[in-house]
Amino acid sequence: MMTHSIFTTKPVARRTWWCFLAAMFLLTTVSCVDEEGFDDTPEGNMEALWQLIDQHYCFLDYKAEAIGLNWDEIHATYRKRLNPKMSKMQLFEVLSEMLSELQDGHVNLYSSADVGRNWHWMEDYPKQLDHELREDYLGTDYRIAAGLKYRILEDNIAYVVYESFSDAIGEGNLDDVLYSLRLCDGLILDIRGNGGGLLTNAERLAARFTNEKRLVGYISHKTGRGHSDFSKPDAEYIEPSNRVRWQKPVVVLTNRECYSAANTFVRDVHNFPLVTTLGDQTGGGSGLPFHSELPNGWSVRFSACIMYDAEMNQIEFGIQPDIPCELNDDDIRQGRDTLIEAARQLLRNL
Amino acid sequence: MLHINSNKRRKGTAPSHTVHHCVRWGCLLLSLLLTTFNARSEDWSRQGTTSWMVGIGGVKQLDTYLSPLEYSGPQLSALRETQRNTHLANGRVSFQSLLQGALTYTENDPSTANDWGGHVNYDAGWHYNWQPATGLQLMAGGMIGTDIGFLYNDRNGNNPAQARLNVDVSASAAAVYHLRLRHRFIGLRYQINVPLAGCMFSPQYGQSYYEISQGNRDHNAVFAHPFNAFSCWQMLSVDIPLKRYTLRTGYLCDIHQSHVNHIRVHDYSHSFMIGIVRHFTLHTPPLRQEKR
Repeated sequence: MMTHSIFTTKPVARRTWWCFLAAMFLLTTVSCVDEEGFDDTPEGNMEALWQLIDQHYCFLDYKAEAIGLNWDEIHATYRKRLNPKMSKMQLFEVLSEMLSELQDGHVNLYSSADVGRNWHWMEDYPKQLDHELREDYLGTDYRIAAGLKYRILEDNIAYVVYESFSDAIGEGNLDDVLYSLRLCDGLILDIRGNGGGLLTNAERLAARFTNEKRLVGYISHKTGRGHSDFSKPDAEYIEPSNRVRWQKPVVVLTNRECYSAANTFVRDVHNFPLVTTLGDQTGGGSGLPFHSELPNGWSVRFSACIMYDAEMNQIEFGIQPDIPCELNDDDIRQGRDTLIEAARQLLRNL
Repeated sequence: MLHINSNKRRKGTAPSHTVHHCVRWGCLLLSLLLTTFNARSEDWSRQGTTSWMVGIGGVKQLDTYLSPLEYSGPQLSALRETQRNTHLANGRVSFQSLLQGALTYTENDPSTANDWGGHVNYDAGWHYNWQPATGLQLMAGGMIGTDIGFLYNDRNGNNPAQARLNVDVSASAAAVYHLRLRHRFIGLRYQINVPLAGCMFSPQYGQSYYEISQGNRDHNAVFAHPFNAFSCWQMLSVDIPLKRYTLRTGYLCDIHQSHVNHIRVHDYSHSFMIGIVRHFTLHTPPLRQEKR
């Protein structure tokens, strides 16, 4: 060892050395950082789930006002339904039902056998969408650019379908699509049935429909375990794309299945001067979801950050369209989509 | 310079004090540099060692931003250490640098999800050396370091990963004992590094990385100290001289913890390390000294 030959110094005062060692020992007495654990029992899993929502879910205060949610009462109610001998599926059923009290499509319980959910926000309402009709409008010679399907209708109206914000759209795709439709008199953007996906895709698309930077909403996250512990809402803007931008009227078709990122897209564009929304109220889902898990390994999804509109209104339960419109049975029989026809009429008259 | 100083001091103005202090500190710094330069010119040898080690071990990880469950699994690590004496304090101060990297693959207790992790940390510092008894050497000093890493959970959505980034100043102590065994000197060493103060990154309790990417900042740079982020790096090693190299083997215990923004994090790893040590001498002076 090199150190043996190099450091030929006088012995140090032992007191100094022992003081140093004592200080180091003092530091080692600092406690371990750990998390309160729950047992992998029906009771332990329920307590873990209840506490997870109690400390992390972002809509407890809002839903207490909006739908009379009482999370403490729910704990007492569902606690009674547990017993130590219940099967995994029985426990899954109880916990899923407990979560469904939150009436939130972003709240799910995942086991290897099932997904606990509450989809009443769309299942309880007419879809306002007939997929076969939509295929008829697209025909067979429509174009596909990443997640976008598009064609020009007979009356020189562009018709673009975007079924999921999970389907990536690049800037190049948008350039090509909008440029190829540039001679059209207007554009129908059909996002009915779009259950969401990536917010960045929603922002990228919205940036093509504005010529100036616009305040579109606010976002706030939890800063602690209390139900009211939130950060100061942070303003969100859409800045105009510096590439091809659409300069003619746009009608966005919506229904109750427009959820999460699709709901955020509608929030972003519904105040743009060129954009009109038409159809049914969106499904909502304004909480940015996080994941966590239970002691038995089941995964839990929950809303963690609140997204508001530009007037600081909650949009968790959806956004009303500018022009409400319902799919008419007579139109369906005649092979006409009431919403698309209404949008075409609107664009012809603008 | 001194003349200018004395004139300004007589005027008694505030700027003159500032200039005086600057000049005084400048002179001190210059003196220190000159001393170092002089010491360098009287170089008597600058010996050192560099070791390369690889290790395998186990790790237990908790990050409540990702999950309330602790994950555990294997860890692969590598460590490069350089240690050499300097000219400071008549050669009683030595320099040490540590470059360590680790990769982890862990799973939760129910085996339903996995975490992938990795980090690289670099520390450099100086130790003052004492030799209280024959064969025994004690070292104490400080180090500055940085640590960059990540932890990725393979089934989370908008909170899939957690970044690890910190800069800190550590207290460091070591003890080396040279044991003679059958005409060979076996080196036993124990070292402990404990960060005392630093700055670490952490998202806020419920803040998403989406918000951070949009420019949202909420207490993300946190002052770290032993009472909110106690960490500890310990290594016990044995150096065994072989024919051409020195074999170094040992046990590495690396403990990282933090409790900031209501997010609890721990990373406890224990590894068996093995590698080789190379001895070197910088600017070997004996020949030149003899000529003088």
